Amino acid sequence: MTFLNLSRRDWMKMSAAGVSAVSLSGWFKVLASRAAAVPSKHKSCILLWMDGGPSHKDTFDLKPGTKDGGDFKPIATSVPGIQIGEHFPKFAKLMHHAALLRGMSTSEGAHGRAKYYLHTGYKEGQGGLTYPSLGSLVSAEIGRSDSPMPNYVSIGRSFGAGFLGAKHAPLIVNDPARGVENLKPMTTGSHFDDRLSLLQEMESAFYREYKADAGADHKTTYQRAVTLMQSKEAKAFDLTQEPASARAAYGSSRFGDGCLLARRLIESGVSFVEVTLPQWDTHQNNFDRVKSLSQQCDPAMAALVRDLKQRGLLDSTLIVWMGEFGRTPRINQRGAKPGRDHYPRAWSSLMIGGGIKGGQVVGKTDKEGATVVERPISALDFLATVCEVLGINWKKQNNTSIGRPIRIVDKGANVLKEIVS
Amino acid sequence: MFRRASALPYALFALTLAVHSAAAEDRKPDGRAMTRRIDEAIDARLQSESVTASPRCDDAEFLRRVYLDLIGHIPTADKTVAFLDSREPNKRAKLIDELLASTDFGKHQADIWQSLLLPRTTDNRFVPFAKMTTWLETRFNENVPWDRMVREILTAEGEIDKNGAVIYYLANAAPDKLTDNATRMFLGVQLQCAQCHNHPFTDWKQDAYWGMAAFFTKVSIQGNPRQAILNNKAGKVAIGENGKGRPLRLPLSAKRVPPKFLQGDSPKIADGSAARPALAEWMTSPKNPYFSRAMVNRLWAQLFGRGIVNPIDDMHDGNKPSHPQLLSDLSAQFVADGFDVKNLFRSICNSATYQRTSKPLAENKEAGPEMYSRMAIKVLTPEQLFDSLVQVVGAPNPDRLQRRAANAVQAAVLRNLTPRTLFVAFFKGDDNADPTEYQLGIPQVLRMMNAPMLNNAAALTPILQSGGTAEQIVDRLYLTVLSRRPTGHERDRCLALVRKHDDEPRQAYGDILWVLLNSSEFTMNH
Repeated sequence: MTFLNLSRRDWMKMSAAGVSAVSLSGWFKVLASRAAAVPSKHKSCILLWMDGGPSHKDTFDLKPGTKDGGDFKPIATSVPGIQIGEHFPKFAKLMHHAALLRGMSTSEGAHGRAKYYLHTGYKEGQGGLTYPSLGSLVSAEIGRSDSPMPNYVSIGRSFGAGFLGAKHAPLIVNDPARGVENLKPMTTGSHFDDRLSLLQEMESAFYREYKADAGADHKTTYQRAVTLMQSKEAKAFDLTQEPASARAAYGSSRFGDGCLLARRLIESGVSFVEVTLPQWDTHQNNFDRVKSLSQQCDPAMAALVRDLKQRGLLDSTLIVWMGEFGRTPRINQRGAKPGRDHYPRAWSSLMIGGGIKGGQVVGKTDKEGATVVERPISALDFLATVCEVLGINWKKQNNTSIGRPIRIVDKGANVLKEIVS
Repeated sequence: MFRRASALPYALFALTLAVHSAAAEDRKPDGRAMTRRIDEAIDARLQSESVTASPRCDDAEFLRRVYLDLIGHIPTADKTVAFLDSREPNKRAKLIDELLASTDFGKHQADIWQSLLLPRTTDNRFVPFAKMTTWLETRFNENVPWDRMVREILTAEGEIDKNGAVIYYLANAAPDKLTDNATRMFLGVQLQCAQCHNHPFTDWKQDAYWGMAAFFTKVSIQGNPRQAILNNKAGKVAIGENGKGRPLRLPLSAKRVPPKFLQGDSPKIADGSAARPALAEWMTSPKNPYFSRAMVNRLWAQLFGRGIVNPIDDMHDGNKPSHPQLLSDLSAQFVADGFDVKNLFRSICNSATYQRTSKPLAENKEAGPEMYSRMAIKVLTPEQLFDSLVQVVGAPNPDRLQRRAANAVQAAVLRNLTPRTLFVAFFKGDDNADPTEYQLGIPQVLRMMNAPMLNNAAALTPILQSGGTAEQIVDRLYLTVLSRRPTGHERDRCLALVRKHDDEPRQAYGDILWVLLNSSEFTMNH
């Protein structure tokens, strides 16, 4: 459990010491003032998680005119020679910022295990450990310890911090329109302040007498939570601060709201935001559903890229678009409106911004989208590349609580050098 | 494995399937010798390293600690008053006996063991855990000897409805998962590293791993668990080892080797016979030193926040015990006492070592936790926190959960969820976390401060209705939440607040309740 080569506890102690050194100014003002010194070169990541596994042949790897090629037509993008599905017209104009990875090839074909694998880089249950998800790793490696904001926010459910500990667990936002749960006190602001100062006063004897590390950690975590409640950055969670036109640009959907919230959070210093768009598990009625999902995804994703670009944040923010696998090249025979089934062997994902070399395709599938014929990309290759782009040393080992060294990305990864600049 | 344990009195673990003598179960073991042995061993090391021990804890500290450790929640205010005011000379020993006899003892152990034995993975989200939790609770409350309990788990068969222990095979539904879990939980070793490569710290080879896994390859699942669970008829799904049903699947990477005990013999098992009974006999035999050591070490760690071997389930030659002779003696005594779990708890809780205050002295504040010069401060587990909170502020309403199921899949998942399991999932840290380490993050702390459950105004009503002066109400708040009376300074500070709000004293009491619930003292078992 290390954080910048310090144990979590060492780090907590340092924070606590830093706080007590200026305790005359009170518990709860310190972190906010320190947050001003944020390094400007900070990298962040937004994971757009397409839950259920989007059909690659109907989104970003179309096979028109082949058997089971499907209903959709390819359209041109801002990059000559690269074509994508017709239901991503807004994003098509931004293709020069993106690397389209058509060589994804993984081994897990069940939702739960595949999601776990793509989020952590380890098979679920392997070695009896719970592994940290990508967001927790980013939080631990490049998260800002001095920011009033949490380092990992998930809009919708995701995976946790595993052996990295609760400090790197995601702050979950269930409904982007409602923001963070329990962020507001159940009393008036001044009454809450009175309670806090009473807490601080009543706690002091316990700290003094028992001198427990856990007590110092408890204090630090409360300080961070209160700092978040009272920080101006916490306004980032409040979408009502955005003009109606902004929400409309993102498509006025729940996913659109999520992407808009992600942008606000990145602007306020959060390192990792995950936004989920569910319902891609299109065993039935594939084409109507993929069309509708794409139409929710396209404006939100395009507005996000544009907004970040406009704010000068696109080069420091990597956007990842992916699900847990692709879908079968064959159209199944289920019912009147057939669909496609789970397919991990060949599928597509996107990386956008983050300073990568955009405007290119990496990997290629055969004419039916069934097999990767050029540059197969494993889950480890993919995660190592994400780390490389974010400036994380993915060969580094973290220690579990029993001292087992676990690499951030396991051995066997090959970074996609072609997109890392 | 046992060959390497050369420091042990048992040099070689020859496989003798001797049936464990039932005689030990007939007599009630006397734990006092074990209690003395603990204090002698701990004091000897303190003396040899010139470390001063902290004094005996006061009654309030003992009461709250032993409640949390043995039955998983804080005492009520009434119980606290009765205990603090009692002048009985042996009231601590009597309380220990009383708590060990409480049905909450089994409930608390079941909380601990179900989370160790039944991994909460996505594959397992439909598994009806509760049946095994109930099974564990009953067994611990009946004080079934530990060796028998483990044999029952390792050889469990039949329908879920008739034998909750078969859930173990649904929640660890592959021979490799069973091998990992059983060796870690019952023998205290991390064999799973050897699944993919030879173990880095020991000489366990991959073949040794798959030799152990081979004992589980005849286990089969009868019925379709997923379908049965979705139809809410899980109880009819059965586990067997008789050739019927679908065998558990070995992973593709498995090495096919005959069953072989870890660094022991290859028992002869006829083709048509079950393999697990031989494994169960070998693993739980009184001659298997790892079996008793693992349990003694685990229960010790429940109480002291660390094992005599620490980390607890990583026993190997490179990981030395802090008190080697004590661990050997306790393990031998545990065997001699017929693997009596309650007796082991009783012996430890009656020791001076357990009853030390957790307050450090100037003389021992630098001493490491392995010296046991003062009691460790543990953070409440999510289950302890929930059950203690419920006692103070009442249970959250479960109705919201029941209404949401839109289809059979959701309904099956929801059957596994209660306000308690959701709370536990939200507050749970790393499975292998150090129990003395504070694991909560911002989301959990926000909930502690601002969730309706923690700000339930109705929680004050019974305290205010108990009547009395402002001073008595303040005392009652402290007794209810922190299981002690306030110090003079604390009482004065609270009364000043009440006077300041004399138009609306309820608000002042609400503030005090909020402060106490959010204090580190409430969150810790000190």
